[in-house]
Amino acid sequence: MNDRLLYTIVKLMLPVIVVYGIFIILHGHVTPGGGFSGGAILGAALILYGLTFGQDASLKLFPESVSKRLESGGVLVYIGIGLIGLVLGGAFLTNAGVFPLGDPGNILSGGMIPLLMIAIGIKVGSTMMTLFNALLEDE
Amino acid sequence: MTLLTIFLVLLLVLTAFAVERTKDLLSAVIVFAAFSLVLSVLWLILKAPDVALTEAAVGAGITTVILLAVLAKTERYER
Amino acid sequence: MSVLDTFVANIHFIGAMIIFVIGLYMVIAHPNLFKRIIGINVMSSAVFYFFVAIGAIADGRVPIVEGTVTPADYINPVPSALILTGIVISVSFTVYALSLAIKIHQSYGTLDQEKIVEMTTRDDSYD
Repeated sequence: MNDRLLYTIVKLMLPVIVVYGIFIILHGHVTPGGGFSGGAILGAALILYGLTFGQDASLKLFPESVSKRLESGGVLVYIGIGLIGLVLGGAFLTNAGVFPLGDPGNILSGGMIPLLMIAIGIKVGSTMMTLFNALLEDE
Repeated sequence: MTLLTIFLVLLLVLTAFAVERTKDLLSAVIVFAAFSLVLSVLWLILKAPDVALTEAAVGAGITTVILLAVLAKTERYER
Repeated sequence: MSVLDTFVANIHFIGAMIIFVIGLYMVIAHPNLFKRIIGINVMSSAVFYFFVAIGAIADGRVPIVEGTVTPADYINPVPSALILTGIVISVSFTVYALSLAIKIHQSYGTLDQEKIVEMTTRDDSYD
């Protein structure tokens, strides 16, 4: 594997793909997209890195212990944000009245929804990477 | 717009049929990625941009790569 | 309204049905397990396509609040939201089925179901 064209193109493309995925996640409440779409794009970027530079390099950049923690942490942040509403006297995942809602259309609006999107995005991105590594790993 | 829609639906049926006919599984996976891409453009025409975005990221990206990874570990040709 | 107009007005539903039948044929007629997994993916894509086509209206708008748009102009966003969940489940299902396919290939050395059935029935006759 000594393909200079592939390496150069992937090195040029990867930052763009990662920034696009983060954009999709952070604008999940005002434009189409959201946690799952952006997380899938981030996961695709990580998988592209792993396919090009080999599984050892991708495991060095994103080791299994980190992806394990990110996966569990995403779910825990989601549940924790949901429990805030429960503690402050509402139902699970209460939004209005607990979080400041802001004006519709602004990037800082929607109460807790951007926080949930970030949690879901981290969870989905690391899950895609884990799935790929688990399928490719040797016995 | 109507002509474009009809053309895309015909292309979608054609790619699905091509996936069914190919004996080479690697070609089938690549044509399946094209199928997903055409489907995501159709969803954009049907005014469902979030579904189109997800399908383009997942159907044409993640699913194709994972199918290829499994193909590398198993056999390439059907029978 | 002529036949052609009816055909054009319902093009999405007709296309979705044809694709569903092609996927079903792939699942039934191909003995290769990998091809069957792709077939189930094609079938699920057809169902998603059908659902999104139900929600669409002629000259509809994307359901995003902007300016002064009357809500009657929006397409129905409920099928789109349902289909997002469906795509997630479809991916999880595909990866699970593929992991089972890898295990089957390690045990039997093939993904052809007819050969696998042959092997397993021959083993039974020895007992």
